[in-house]
Amino acid sequence: MPITLWPAHWTRLQRSNATLVSALLLLVLVMATLGWLFSWLPEPIASSAQTFAEGARTTLWLTLVSGAVGLVLGTATALARTARWTLPRWIARFYLWVIRGTPLLVQILFVYFALPMLVPGLRLPEFWAAVLALGLNAGAYNSEAIRAGLLAVPQGQTEAARALGLSRRHVFLDVVMPQAFKMALPPLVSNFVALLKDSSLAYAIGVVELTNVGNRLQSETFQPIATLSTVALTYLVLTTLVTQATQAIEYRFDIEGRAQ
Amino acid sequence: MKGPPYIVVDRVCKSFGAHPVLCDVSTQFCTGEVSVIIGASGSGKSTLLRAINRLEPHDSGSITIGGVPVGPHEATLQRQRIDVGMVFQQFNLFGHMTVLDNLTLAPRRIHGTARSQANAQAMALLQRVGLQEHAAKYPWQLSGGQQQRVAIARALAMQPKVMLFDEPTSALDPEMVQEVLDVMRELAHAGMTMVVVTHEMGFAREVADRVLFFDQGRITHEAAPAEFFDQPANARIRAFIGRLSQ
Repeated sequence: MPITLWPAHWTRLQRSNATLVSALLLLVLVMATLGWLFSWLPEPIASSAQTFAEGARTTLWLTLVSGAVGLVLGTATALARTARWTLPRWIARFYLWVIRGTPLLVQILFVYFALPMLVPGLRLPEFWAAVLALGLNAGAYNSEAIRAGLLAVPQGQTEAARALGLSRRHVFLDVVMPQAFKMALPPLVSNFVALLKDSSLAYAIGVVELTNVGNRLQSETFQPIATLSTVALTYLVLTTLVTQATQAIEYRFDIEGRAQ
Repeated sequence: MKGPPYIVVDRVCKSFGAHPVLCDVSTQFCTGEVSVIIGASGSGKSTLLRAINRLEPHDSGSITIGGVPVGPHEATLQRQRIDVGMVFQQFNLFGHMTVLDNLTLAPRRIHGTARSQANAQAMALLQRVGLQEHAAKYPWQLSGGQQQRVAIARALAMQPKVMLFDEPTSALDPEMVQEVLDVMRELAHAGMTMVVVTHEMGFAREVADRVLFFDQGRITHEAAPAEFFDQPANARIRAFIGRLSQ
């Protein structure tokens, strides 16, 4: 949306950069002033404004870190699944089969409670247990989005690049990946937004994120409408800001001018 | 004008599953020579071309380029592909890059040519194919004929010793065929070694040094163009020429 705000004579890249920078600035600004913003809301929110703000920051931080883990893991898994060798293909399939076939809540509980028993010494703090579980989960779904992108790049692109004498590495990095990434971007954004909301499940292992804060306040004050509406509204603000940034990235790759 | 044999194809066989596409094909392509390969679709012409730079590995027999066998060894293969330019029926330009970047990618990545120098060389090539004012455009902004001329320039950017053309005009609207053939004609006159799979009889007659006829995975006939077209060797070739020139 804000892409159309910029002067018409700006290039696609300039508009994309401007949108990206302003969306990120807005995100930082909102996160920094969230406590102050909440303090303007009626009770019982106002008196817990700082706790709410802290919860929202934890949610965003949790999402960003596990989103990054998920992107790296997703790329690696997509590559493994399209690899020439059998072993990485099977490992990737197994990972996908397990993660997609079990509930995220069970995965979070498993990483926090069962993993330390299976691997003595791997007792992760709540936050990092949630990051691991969410990252593993996002990685599985991201890998399918990226694999779809990789498969959608026509064979002729690879052939033309190989025929020029380019090495496999350059064929992949310069020709296949940029085009695959462009096609994988919309589903990746969907996955990221889903992750932002799914991070609320981390409250099951005691991570003090947005949902957890809201739920505690709700049971303390017996005012579910005010507290839960605030929680929902905060998620909506976060997802809106995040999708503004990702739209700018999509626009950057839109060389054919199809996104309007 | 004809030099020593450069690409030597010796008893090459290739099948897709149970279906044989190349049966015992032997021929050679000499330096400076323009060879045109014609034949019905599915007769193996394109497969031979793609076997030369190993986009389609052959099953048996041997292909040598400048005396070096074409095989699975990756580094050797990359060096050979640098010497063998290829132009595809579907152009296969890199859609996410400008015309200029399409031309400069390989020289910059393979030879480590500086961007400014690669750009200057690319502009000279674009001038040669008459597209210098389209350098900053993306492939989707060009017509089919323009895209194919860019594809030719892209292949030339690596200064290949031989150019393979795989039905370069078959995907084009009739009015765009000539502009591509003009570029190819100019290339032939400049002494480029060329192997061209095409259905353009006029081009074959005018530019080729020899014409090869493919039928069911074999080269069944080979002759100079005048002889090939004016005194067809057998009924099958006569019928094929008749179908194309009507």
